Amino acid sequence: MEWFNSVWQRIEAAFITGDRWKLYLKGLGVTIEVAVFAALLGMIIGTLLAFMKLSARKDGRPGLLNWIASAYIDVIRGTPAVLQLLIMWFVVLKTCKNGILVASLTFGINSGAYVAEIIRAGILAVDKGQTEAGMSLGLNKIKTMRYIVLPQAIKNVLPPLGNEFIVLIKETAIVGYVSLSDLTRVANQLASKTYDAFTPLIGAAVIYFIIIKLLTIALEHLERRLRKSDNR
Amino acid sequence: MIIVKDLHKKFEGNHVLRGINYHVHQGEKIVVVGPSGSGKSTFLRCLNLLERPTGGEIWFDGQLITDKNTDINKIREHMGMVFQNFNLFNNLTIMDNITLAPAKLKLMSMEEAKENALSLLTRVGLKEKAGAYPSSLSGGQKQRIAIVRSLAMNPRVMLFDEPTSALDPEMVGEVLEVMKELAESGMTMVVVTHEMGFAREVGTKVLFMDEGLIMEENTPQEFFNNPESVRLKEFLSKVL
Repeated sequence: MEWFNSVWQRIEAAFITGDRWKLYLKGLGVTIEVAVFAALLGMIIGTLLAFMKLSARKDGRPGLLNWIASAYIDVIRGTPAVLQLLIMWFVVLKTCKNGILVASLTFGINSGAYVAEIIRAGILAVDKGQTEAGMSLGLNKIKTMRYIVLPQAIKNVLPPLGNEFIVLIKETAIVGYVSLSDLTRVANQLASKTYDAFTPLIGAAVIYFIIIKLLTIALEHLERRLRKSDNR
Repeated sequence: MIIVKDLHKKFEGNHVLRGINYHVHQGEKIVVVGPSGSGKSTFLRCLNLLERPTGGEIWFDGQLITDKNTDINKIREHMGMVFQNFNLFNNLTIMDNITLAPAKLKLMSMEEAKENALSLLTRVGLKEKAGAYPSSLSGGQKQRIAIVRSLAMNPRVMLFDEPTSALDPEMVGEVLEVMKELAESGMTMVVVTHEMGFAREVGTKVLFMDEGLIMEENTPQEFFNNPESVRLKEFLSKVL
């Protein structure tokens, strides 16, 4: 009973006193907002970069677009995300006071590099014979890509893209560096305030876990639907 | 119909085709045989520019298709191709496999394309597979569908790249049967194959390729009964 009372007190202090659960919800809102914007931007940048990297000059050698995409991916993958965030906040977009915008842009630019490689690999994994068959029927490169290769590539990229999105959600936990109150920062602040690290931190971890588990279930569902044509 | 002049193809230091000259006439069934690595598949794939030749000319119905300004997609509409590995579109049903190109290239309305597909499928006895996906078909069925898919474009010539080499033995017959019927209907065909029986029975001309050249060309009768070169004699003694 004694033990139960003390646990309850800690829970009360961490989540209930002064409607503190609202702070977690707000923090979660920030986390999700940044992750969703970044994922969308990352998809757009990643798709563009992937096609740039797949492009070739007439003679089959890599051209300027290819070089630009490779350089982008190298720089982004070669530096820590925290540093990229700090550089964006304190240097590149120094005058912008909207932390959510800066964080979304940073993570979008960052995620784009990884998404590019995922999409490129997904397209390359589609058998070359599929393209050749399309071309042999008189379809041009764009139509072959649009009707034959891409629909098959989407199935290939869905699992690693889901993975990338999950990583992205958790990576936003560093936005506290630019004074955004996301889920992690809220938990950390309440830990100092209540002199109890365990309860708020574990609480935040559970919230992350639930969100990502739900996302995983949704992705598995989508994957099953797309695999329909494989086993009919 | 197809005129090939001094065709060369090099892959990074590997000289695969070393000057091929040939003339395919309307209605002919040209069968190309030869040892592996002789360049026969590369030769066939050059005819619709799936491989870009590194030298020489290819003319199709009076058009120089190796010219950079020729719209090769337009040319390919008239040249059907059947692959060793079928290459049916895995993401589409059989019906969509067949109707995709005619409909998207606006050669036919969707209804016409579907009607045409159904009548072709009936011809090869696979009408009931129209709604199925390629993964549910046997190799022989896939290859018959692949032939139908090419025929749906009403091609003027059909190119076959070892169409039975990836099949289980018991399925070879059904595919050759479809090809025979197609030959009888008057289609111009160029067939790379290891099926000597088919070459003898259906071919109007048989070519022997070795080391990137056409070494010998003759009617099936003469080709198999009176081979001239030593290389061909050796080859035939191995495969017959």
